[in-house]
Amino acid sequence: MRAVNINPKGFSRDQLKIYAYIVPLCLFMLLPILYIFTSAFKPISELFAFPPRFLVANPTLDNFSRLSQTTQQSTVSLGRYVFNSALVTLAVVLLSIIISSMAGYAFSKLRFRGSGLLFEINTIALMFVPVAVMIPRYLVIDRLGIINSYLAHILPLLSMPVGLFLLKQFIDQVPDELMEAAKVDGAGPLRVYWKVVLPLIRPAIATVAILAFQAVWGNTETSSMFTTKENMRTLSFFMSTLAAQNTGVAGQGVAAASMLIMFVPNILLFIILQSKVMNTMAYSGMK
Amino acid sequence: MKGGKAVDNKRSKRRGWFSVTRRRDLKGLLFMLPWTLGFGLFFASPLYQSVIFSLNKITITARGRRMAYVGLQNYYDIFQKDIYFVERLRAFFTNTLLSLPVILVFSLLIAMLINQKIRGKGLFRAIFFLPIIVVSGPMLNMLIQEGATTIPLIEQYGIYDALLNLPYFLQEPINYLFSQLIMVLWYSGVPILIFLAGLQKIDTSLNEAALIDGASSWVVFWKITLPSLRNMVLINAIYTMVFLATSEINEVIALIRSNMLAPDRGYGIASAMAWSYSLGIALAIVLIYLLIGREKKPELHKIAVYRKKGGARHAR
Repeated sequence: MRAVNINPKGFSRDQLKIYAYIVPLCLFMLLPILYIFTSAFKPISELFAFPPRFLVANPTLDNFSRLSQTTQQSTVSLGRYVFNSALVTLAVVLLSIIISSMAGYAFSKLRFRGSGLLFEINTIALMFVPVAVMIPRYLVIDRLGIINSYLAHILPLLSMPVGLFLLKQFIDQVPDELMEAAKVDGAGPLRVYWKVVLPLIRPAIATVAILAFQAVWGNTETSSMFTTKENMRTLSFFMSTLAAQNTGVAGQGVAAASMLIMFVPNILLFIILQSKVMNTMAYSGMK
Repeated sequence: MKGGKAVDNKRSKRRGWFSVTRRRDLKGLLFMLPWTLGFGLFFASPLYQSVIFSLNKITITARGRRMAYVGLQNYYDIFQKDIYFVERLRAFFTNTLLSLPVILVFSLLIAMLINQKIRGKGLFRAIFFLPIIVVSGPMLNMLIQEGATTIPLIEQYGIYDALLNLPYFLQEPINYLFSQLIMVLWYSGVPILIFLAGLQKIDTSLNEAALIDGASSWVVFWKITLPSLRNMVLINAIYTMVFLATSEINEVIALIRSNMLAPDRGYGIASAMAWSYSLGIALAIVLIYLLIGREKKPELHKIAVYRKKGGARHAR
């Protein structure tokens, strides 16, 4: 089991050549994140410099002070937007994980009639561009009478074909023998799901959680399409309107600052979950 | 149906609704229920609706939607009259054809590098997965607008000029590949993870046996690593294809979106475009399936043969 002791204790010269490849590539991958952080602190003269520069020469907090000025002009308090976003995001991430992992478990390990067909349908749904269902979705939500409620934010985002696809692939890799053992010990499918499958696919769940978080946290569509009241809208929608209010040169600065603010929760979640994500299937139990 | 199932389970004492298979079906369906409900309500039914829309000319008036059935006219229009649609569709598929292999090869390389015995593995893994939180969010649009995703050096140092010597049909895609190199690398976050999971499942004793038998690591890669990763390659190819096809910055999607709200074009045209586009993607995925194929399970077969032999020996 090499996978378990992934971090060798010592440092040997053999590793140098690998570092020679990896370190430059890593720096390359980190550039966009660096860019998001620095451009929020750039004065206007530097924001428009061409070619764009990654580092900031004279950092300033102007962008943030302008952002907070604009915030104070809005009729709904900032706290309300934050609360809306937090509630919606939490609900969507938790519910979509539960729903997709349950379905993934059923697809992968419970044999029942129609499972093949349903999974094919999900795979086809993967290919369909979400834009195309926007207006029909509005009609559904209108008919359900949940416009201007939190449900209008939560329900449409729960159907996440990619999440189900990834989770099913991971559950496929959980050895059947583990489940058989649990069954012999008298566990029903719900218990097997809760006690065997869920703990084993934690890495996949962490990945899906990050993807789901992405889909919800930055989503402005549910706010602009399914709500009409300002106090039911989310933080990301509010931030996008702020950038639009400050048109022209100042708008870019405000946009950069709001981008950073929206980005911070992302990176925090990533840091919290990353150790779980990265452990992939190192401990899938059997070989 | 009930009768058929009952015949299957002659030995089971409970029949009809409580037969073993029936209960198994029921358990499966119960687990599926929340997903099926949500999927039906927010995906399948809107999808069906959009098929209907694509066959209609839809005009939005002050009093509401007006639909007039026009048959396949919308489809005919987008392929024959629209100046952008076919062009963008072609551009998307050529670019995907180029960037998909690059993403797959790059992520496999990175996954293999990270899977080596080096220090700071966890950190490297995190860094290579990090772009996922940029690429799948709204930040991407902003970064692109500000030009942070292109490499300014390419235009300055002759690569562009060198391209002019190539035949025309290669020029544009290769230029695209270079200008989008950063983006292509950012898309590799999830594929790297999936490959890593696959690499960690490969039995190391297999590698060791091959090395002892005198295989070079090059041979080990082609004969052991790559065949064991076949399933992962397939998953990654599909995932990346879908990711590219539905990403926020996709030009075809931008076209559909702009048509959707345009008063003179209407939602019918947009739906027809979305359907044609999705069919194209579906076709591409079928091609990927045929090309890479499903993993056959030779190990299972071998185990069965082995057991049979063992069994025979016992009997003797």
